[in-house]
Amino acid sequence: MSAQEDIVIEVKHLTAGYGDREILRDVNFGVRRGEVFIIIGGSGSGKSTLLKHMIGLLPPLQGEVWIDGENMVAAKGDARTQLLRRFGVVYQSGALFGSMTVAENVQLPLAEFTDLPEVAREYVALGKLKVVGLAGAAHQMPSELSGGMQKRTAIARAMALDPHILFLDEPSAGLDPVTSAGLDALIKELSCYFGITFVIVSHELQSIYAIADRVIMLDGQARTIIAEGTPAELRDQTTNVSVRRFFNREATPDQTIKTR
Amino acid sequence: MVLFSRQKTERTAAAQAEVLAEQRGRVTVLLRGRLDVHTMGDLWRDLEARLRPLTAVSLDVDATQLNVSGGGGLALLRYLKAGGFTPAATVSVGGLNAELDQILHMFAGEDFESYRARRRRASSVLEEVGASLRTSARDLREQVAFVGRMAAELAGTILHPERLRWREVTRLCVTAGANALPIVSLLSFLVGLIIGFEGAQPLAQFGAQIFIADMVGFGAVRELGPMMTAIMLAGRSGAAFAAEIGTMKVNEELAALVTMGLDPTRFLALQRVAAGILLTPLLTVYTMFAGVLGGTLVMLSLGFSLPMIYHQMATRVHLLDICVGLGKSVAFGAIFSAVGCLRGFQTGEGAIAVGVSATRAVVTSIFLIILADTVFAAAGFLTR
Repeated sequence: MSAQEDIVIEVKHLTAGYGDREILRDVNFGVRRGEVFIIIGGSGSGKSTLLKHMIGLLPPLQGEVWIDGENMVAAKGDARTQLLRRFGVVYQSGALFGSMTVAENVQLPLAEFTDLPEVAREYVALGKLKVVGLAGAAHQMPSELSGGMQKRTAIARAMALDPHILFLDEPSAGLDPVTSAGLDALIKELSCYFGITFVIVSHELQSIYAIADRVIMLDGQARTIIAEGTPAELRDQTTNVSVRRFFNREATPDQTIKTR
Repeated sequence: MVLFSRQKTERTAAAQAEVLAEQRGRVTVLLRGRLDVHTMGDLWRDLEARLRPLTAVSLDVDATQLNVSGGGGLALLRYLKAGGFTPAATVSVGGLNAELDQILHMFAGEDFESYRARRRRASSVLEEVGASLRTSARDLREQVAFVGRMAAELAGTILHPERLRWREVTRLCVTAGANALPIVSLLSFLVGLIIGFEGAQPLAQFGAQIFIADMVGFGAVRELGPMMTAIMLAGRSGAAFAAEIGTMKVNEELAALVTMGLDPTRFLALQRVAAGILLTPLLTVYTMFAGVLGGTLVMLSLGFSLPMIYHQMATRVHLLDICVGLGKSVAFGAIFSAVGCLRGFQTGEGAIAVGVSATRAVVTSIFLIILADTVFAAAGFLTR
């Protein structure tokens, strides 16, 4: 297997922004099949913007995003729908539909995109919920669940159509350390058992050390990738001040009252 | 070994089944091809059609040649294993690799049964009636409490007008009132036209077309002006109040106000009710005028002169009628804005609750506006 074939997502010369405001300029990177790929960076560095471009929510100002060898940016109509089914997205707040039970949330993509009979859909949904440890909560409404359970449900829903790529936006935001560690373990398991490729936006240091195979770091000022590598490489070998600050949890001088 | 084979799996043939029925109810199913959530539907129905009629004692599923892509395809194997198609048979599933086998056994028929059992908890008629009574009683109590609090706040505002956040009131008057002017005026103008045209025919039979002026003038000033304005505002601005406050509640903004020591009724509802009371009479003046204009246009087209129309209207419509119309519009304005706020505060959880609140705001305000109008009409008749 050559290294070239191994790339499932390729971002080429991506320039992203809103209207006139440019947030990322000429970003290039590839995500390898089966790896846990984490995008880090400070607030306002364009992490979420980059994610939204990778999943096709926003059109790039320039550049391309290739998923499975197909151009996400140029895809239209049916080709785009096909492409969208190859990956699942877990949003920061979970984005579960409040009017449906947990099991119905997971069944929704199955009902819309497959011809499975109802029993089959329920079996698939419960199977997914079992994998994320929530089969017992299948009949509950999202509002009855804790934050961690909502995230797990969102992961189960994103996996409903068996995508081989999952995008997660800040999975551990708002979760306690124990729940957050549980979610990390789940991601690691899904990666091992199912070979799912993960693209995760995060700034949770411990979670990055625990699960990341490779990390890229974005910077708001540079508007591009300022570091790339394994978490340990970034922590130990960096010469960049921003990267060092991030991994050592240092405040910038203007963020403390003493130095302001 | 992982579930997604590293090559592109899309090209492999879809999953198929071969059913071998031997003697004494021993059945073997051979599965081959690619099994995922997209190919599973056909196979599911096929197996159901072929296995259900058999009275199987034992069922052996051979998945050696099966390419299970992702975890979804395992649902079929689990269903077979749980005896979904062959309730009387003992089932074995073989030929899966260790990882798949482990995931297959994670989940069993019991999980499904317990989900099914808990999913539909049908409630009895008595329970339904009780629950709806309780909701109605709570709703009534909240309404009474809200009206009381609102009245106290309004009285306080009249004594200390500087407490009102006037900037907010001005903003609300612009969005809820001034921006509604074109549509409210246009509709009122059209209703004036309609009354004129509809009245022209029957009144012509008696040669009494001049009385169109009475109909239009009296109707627009006393009834349609205030009521049309209030109903339009209830649908437009009352719903907006409910949705805005409802979304604030969902986003915990109301909780933030409370913990800052600010009373949401005073901070949010008071400004809206004040805006409603101030802007509705102003808008009503316009709608009265637009309605009269519509009727006048019809009369001009029928050949009446402007001084004639004016004279006829002036003998019928007095200053008192205009005052009654404006007085009603004040009450209507208070109703739609207060109901909008109350429904907003009553919002439950999630996006649906916001929609429900907006709907209930419109329904309740229109009902109360017409009810109040009935009371005004009856009172006017009795005191005459």
